[in-house]
Amino acid sequence: MNTLNIGGSQLDTSWFLLLSAILFVLGAVGVLVRRNPLVILISIELMLNAANLTLVTFSRQLQNLDGQLFALMSMTVAAAEAVVGLAILVDIFRTRDVEDVDELSELRG
Amino acid sequence: MAIAVFFVAAAMAVLGGIGVVTFRQPIRSVLSLVLVMLALSVLFLLLSAQFIFAVQIIVYAGAVMVLFLFVIALLGPARELGRGRLRFQTWLSALFVLVLLGLMWSLFQGAHYRQPDKTDMSFFGTVQSIAVGLFTTYLYPFELTSILLLVAAIGAIYLSRKNIDDL
Amino acid sequence: MSNQTLALLILIFPAAGAILLAGRGWRLPRIFTVLVGPGVVWASFVCVLALFAGKAAGDFTYWTWIKSGTFEVPFNLLIDNLSIFMCLVITGVGGLIVSYAVGYMEHEDDPSYARFFCYMDVFIFSMLLLVLAGNFVFLITGWALVGLSSYLLIGFWYQRHSAVVAARKAFVMNVIGDVGMILGTFIVFLDFQSVRFGDVFRALAPRANCQGTQVCAYRFFFDTGSLELAAFLFLVGAVAKSAQLPLHTWLPDAMEGPTPVSALIHAATMVTAGVYLVGRLHPIYDVAVYAHGAVAIVGAVTALFAATIAIVQTDIKRVLAYSTMSQIGYMFLAVGIGAYTAGFFHLLSHAFFKALLFMAAGNVIHAMHDEQDMRKYGGLWNQMRPTSIAFLVGSLSLVGVFPFVGFFSKEQILGAAFSKPDDTVVHFLWFIGFVTALITGFYTGRMWWLSFWGKPSPQRPVEHPHEAPPVMFVPVATLAVLATVGGLLQTKALGFGTDEVSNFLSSAVGPERWEGGGAEIALTLLTMLLAAALFVWAMRMRPWTAYAPWAQRLLERKYYFDEIYDAVFVRPLDWVAGFLQRDVERPVIDAAVVDTGALARWSAGELSLTQSGYFRNYVLVFVVGVVSIAGVLLLVRALT
Repeated sequence: MNTLNIGGSQLDTSWFLLLSAILFVLGAVGVLVRRNPLVILISIELMLNAANLTLVTFSRQLQNLDGQLFALMSMTVAAAEAVVGLAILVDIFRTRDVEDVDELSELRG
Repeated sequence: MAIAVFFVAAAMAVLGGIGVVTFRQPIRSVLSLVLVMLALSVLFLLLSAQFIFAVQIIVYAGAVMVLFLFVIALLGPARELGRGRLRFQTWLSALFVLVLLGLMWSLFQGAHYRQPDKTDMSFFGTVQSIAVGLFTTYLYPFELTSILLLVAAIGAIYLSRKNIDDL
Repeated sequence: MSNQTLALLILIFPAAGAILLAGRGWRLPRIFTVLVGPGVVWASFVCVLALFAGKAAGDFTYWTWIKSGTFEVPFNLLIDNLSIFMCLVITGVGGLIVSYAVGYMEHEDDPSYARFFCYMDVFIFSMLLLVLAGNFVFLITGWALVGLSSYLLIGFWYQRHSAVVAARKAFVMNVIGDVGMILGTFIVFLDFQSVRFGDVFRALAPRANCQGTQVCAYRFFFDTGSLELAAFLFLVGAVAKSAQLPLHTWLPDAMEGPTPVSALIHAATMVTAGVYLVGRLHPIYDVAVYAHGAVAIVGAVTALFAATIAIVQTDIKRVLAYSTMSQIGYMFLAVGIGAYTAGFFHLLSHAFFKALLFMAAGNVIHAMHDEQDMRKYGGLWNQMRPTSIAFLVGSLSLVGVFPFVGFFSKEQILGAAFSKPDDTVVHFLWFIGFVTALITGFYTGRMWWLSFWGKPSPQRPVEHPHEAPPVMFVPVATLAVLATVGGLLQTKALGFGTDEVSNFLSSAVGPERWEGGGAEIALTLLTMLLAAALFVWAMRMRPWTAYAPWAQRLLERKYYFDEIYDAVFVRPLDWVAGFLQRDVERPVIDAAVVDTGALARWSAGELSLTQSGYFRNYVLVFVVGVVSIAGVLLLVRALT
């Protein structure tokens, strides 16, 4: 039973999941390729959102509320993490005026 | 009708995602992300997650993204220049993420779900049901996340102070 | 105090002395060493006397060293008349020699002085362990420790290159013997499932009277073949330790050690260990007749061989060394034909007169400022009368002149060989012994006349040598007295009189197996007269070597044994060792070790490239990891 009955029509569950996969992969690409730290953080947020979509989809498929609650928690955590990440970013930007994450590579060896 | 809504929202989300990754100016990336979030909230609504739909807009698009915008305002616009130092990074990343996509695709295509639970669908995803879950079964995680937010707030204040003597 | 405690005390005293001297001796004043070194040996002697007087006997087990399944090695001491006899010799004569050494070694500095007596005590302990041990394992332990002590003492003056080389040579040849001993023990254990002497001898007891080529009526669960092999292997050990042919080359070189060492180890005790071994294991040798015969043949041949070489030696200690080799050959001959008590009596008397000879020679060497070449002596009779007399007593005893103890013991052996019934081979061996006795007379005489008679040699290092101080002379005198009256213990060679030694030892090695007759006694007297005649004739000192220079060279080169061994064993092994070091050790083994390190370092270098410091690289690694794991899981799921 792979379809969801939404608003009268039948939608395939896998469409939602595929969409979330694409968004996730896009976010991953962003983290890997972009060099502006802000954009990297944003891409991480994108990945988190994709995960939330998956959670809610499954919740609907299995008609179990746990998925939505988990998504809620995930959102909270994402917010907290964005806050702290940005605070760190601000700190670095203030002292070093860095634009490129590749410049922050002292831990090499 | 629902199908149409779905496809529009999906298209918006994907376009927004591409925008996030490709714009040179960070401000544009942030705004693309906002678009993604709005699209996702519509999708949540389609999936009978009314509370999540609201929270997504209020919290995510309304608070977290605003935070990002403030930071951009604080730090000034920046442009990513040049090709960077790691030359093979781009194509190698593209390769692996495509593989990842393929894996996930095959995973999701072949999924067999168990029998759904018997729930009252008119009650499903409403604020009331979320509240019930949050304050009874998942009370403990709920309290913990509140502490988590407190810790994050303290951390952010501490990390972003201007002088060592402050705070 | 029980016999069991006394027996253990015999061992503990010298061991404690050694430990004390090793730990503290070189820091304390010399008087400490002087008291402890010989003192513990005399203390041991007192314990032995107590056991002797109390007619002690028994197999005392003190603790179990190894116990694994059926293999059990206890620490037990076998006290019977044979072991008491040997202990008397070791501690008695040993005590005299160690006391003598107090004076002889006085020129050493304090640490070396203490070191010397420590080593001497170690030796006494090891030798006592050897003769008291009640099982094969501790016998071999004592055996090996005695070899070690010999090495330490020969190389005592380690700054001398020749001493070090000699010590090493002695040790290597001893080890060859050790291998024989160990292999023999393995065979014994396989046959009897025990290493205790008691168990082995009990199992062999019914066979004790089976001799010669008679087919024995008893059927056994082991065959004589393995016993023969074991007996031959033990013979290898005995030959190495007692410096018999062909493992004899180390003994003359061992004279590099101080004279007390030569007296104690290479005359009175260690070299007699081989004789003790055959005597102790006589139940095995009574059965293994071929090995038993080999003992006798080796002994007789060595006796003759060594006596001929002694004729041309110029170093006084070397003459005595070859003489020792020769006399031990006699002992081997005796125990090899089954005349055990004769062999052990000769062991006792040889201990007396050989130690006497070595110590008297030591007096001379000491007086002549360490000159050992006899050609540079001459005329000492007038200047060192007491020592000369003592030396004469020892010499006459060695030659076998009545009434000294050597006469009685040597003639008993020759008489036993002559009168053994139905054995022509043994009669031929008697003839060899007879000829050797005559040669013994000659070389001993030569030694005495050269050193003590005539005019002082112009090459003398010291014009007026002084007589030895009391501490060095009293032991010599004591042994001279013993050599004179010792014959009274066993006058059997004359066909009548006392029989003390045989009676004493018969409980351990069995009674005398056959009796001699009148012919034997006549031959005894004839041998003595001829030998004494040669002793006197040696004074003429005609350069007989002019007639046969090749003989002179052959003898001086000791029948070229050293050269042969060098070419056959030492050079090839040297080459193999060099080859292995050059072409196996360095390229293969060292390379493996070094290369492992180099490999580790290289791989670390390569791997550290992953620590690029770039955040994006690390994320890429994440993604690669996730993809891999997910891929593997999906693959597994798809296949099953």
